[in-house]
Amino acid sequence: MSTTVNGIQIDDTFAEAFGMSGTGIIITADSMKWARIAATVATGFGTSVIGCGAECGIDRELSPDETPDGRPGVRILIFGFSPDALVPQIRNRIGQCVLTSPGSACYAGLKAAQSIGLGKAPRFFGDGFQTAKKLGDSRYWRVPVMDGEFVVEEETGVTTDAVGGGNVLIVGKDRAGLLETAEAAVDAIAKIDDVITPFPGGIVRSGSKVGAKYAGMFASSNDAFCPTLRGTVKSELGPDTLAVLEIVIDGLTSKAVADAMRAGLKAITDTGAKRGVTRVTAGNYGGKLGQHHYHLKELI
Amino acid sequence: MSGLTLRLKAPANERINLSGITPGRLAALSAHEIARLNVGFDKVGLPLGDAFDVSGSAGETLTIEGSGAQLDYAGSELDSGTLRIVGNTGAYTARRMSGGKLEIRGNAGDFLASGMTGGIIHVSGNAGNSAGGFIPGDRFGMLGGIAVIEGNVGMRVGEKMRRGTIIVRGKTGEGAGSRMIGGTIWAEGGIGPRPGLMMRRGTLIGPSVEELLPTFADCGKHDLVITRVLSCYLKSVLGDLAPKPMPLFVQKIGGDLATIGRGEILLPAS
Repeated sequence: MSTTVNGIQIDDTFAEAFGMSGTGIIITADSMKWARIAATVATGFGTSVIGCGAECGIDRELSPDETPDGRPGVRILIFGFSPDALVPQIRNRIGQCVLTSPGSACYAGLKAAQSIGLGKAPRFFGDGFQTAKKLGDSRYWRVPVMDGEFVVEEETGVTTDAVGGGNVLIVGKDRAGLLETAEAAVDAIAKIDDVITPFPGGIVRSGSKVGAKYAGMFASSNDAFCPTLRGTVKSELGPDTLAVLEIVIDGLTSKAVADAMRAGLKAITDTGAKRGVTRVTAGNYGGKLGQHHYHLKELI
Repeated sequence: MSGLTLRLKAPANERINLSGITPGRLAALSAHEIARLNVGFDKVGLPLGDAFDVSGSAGETLTIEGSGAQLDYAGSELDSGTLRIVGNTGAYTARRMSGGKLEIRGNAGDFLASGMTGGIIHVSGNAGNSAGGFIPGDRFGMLGGIAVIEGNVGMRVGEKMRRGTIIVRGKTGEGAGSRMIGGTIWAEGGIGPRPGLMMRRGTLIGPSVEELLPTFADCGKHDLVITRVLSCYLKSVLGDLAPKPMPLFVQKIGGDLATIGRGEILLPAS
């Protein structure tokens, strides 16, 4: 039994999410501009673990008094299926994207019982000239680079209580209006700590189903939600639907994902109707994929 | 002042061994047991109750009053709580301290913080030779924690120091950081002559250095992020006790090139 909020139908369904491992990393630089550049590059090609190895994004910007070196910074989150799976991702992303970025430094962005290497591999770029400074429980590596030193903390925390795949599907009759609404929802979600929306601009247009007719494809287009296939497949869409956009949310905790979905839903229902949004639903696989179920009705 | 207080009955005419006299250990003992603890060095021994008046109730804080330079090993093995010493201490103060806070309202003798691995020391006066240094039989000097000394320190502060931070509000004596392996010595009043002899790694920071060894090389003027990290860390742990941050640019002097040369002396860049 669906519910209607401000003229938008909210399906009686749930978003199905699954357990992941997640870590946080703080990237600082001489200016917010350069911290953001390093963070954006380090989280690039990080949309879906299916093809990227990790789901990554910027959690939030940090003022100088929130960072370990008193400079502007950005906290990024990286999610994968296990702590071990995150190791090569961190090594490559920090080594290729943060070490190389002018003026950057890199620190633990998550306190957790378990930790994972952050500067353990990039320090070897120092070719023996790297030195360490241990302050309290943290060890910082100083790697000589051409604009001074790249400072990187040896380890960062990792949690296995993270959640990937929280989602909202926005259905509507105006593609441009739908995109505006989805953007507003992403902006609202960005205000919630400990979550990211890893897809481009936080929005996915290629919602997927599990498996495909082609060998080697783990996922393929979610034909039931493709408007152009309406009438030729068992469609989930009504006759007036022109487009569907999805927002996918990863969080360090289940509560953070629920809070983010709540914030996103509010943004959608507050202004979506006048932009052509007709319905909100969520992606699930009948409860067979993941242990985390976020019922839309409980979040509105 | 709450907690347990030990007040020296009379100026000590023999050396007193305060090894292991910590708030945590005394909290687990009865008043009778505390009075029977041996604080002497020789075979005869010296019951704590004969040397000190004991008052208050044991807990997180222990205060020792009327102390003097005869009191050795004060705060040694301290791992939690607060130990306040009103007066001077002798040698080996905070030996192998691993946690908690040690406040000395006076001067500390030689070998302050030798083998220390954690916690915070605050000395309101001076410290003797080899603060944070090693003693024969040990492999390293200080191994962690923070020592803040409001006055000056003697010779060879931080000798063979491996980790931790020593902040000296005054000046260091000759040979600061000799054979240093790691850690940081920050002398706000200036670094004494010939620091860092045979140092492998580690950092000496100060506004000036009296005389450099010829095996140190000027590496030029730099904006080092690690000095900001260090300042932020010390501010977060020490609050008002933290040293004033270094200016943006520092002059790095690398050495000792007679060894692997990964050590550094950082001075404000002119």
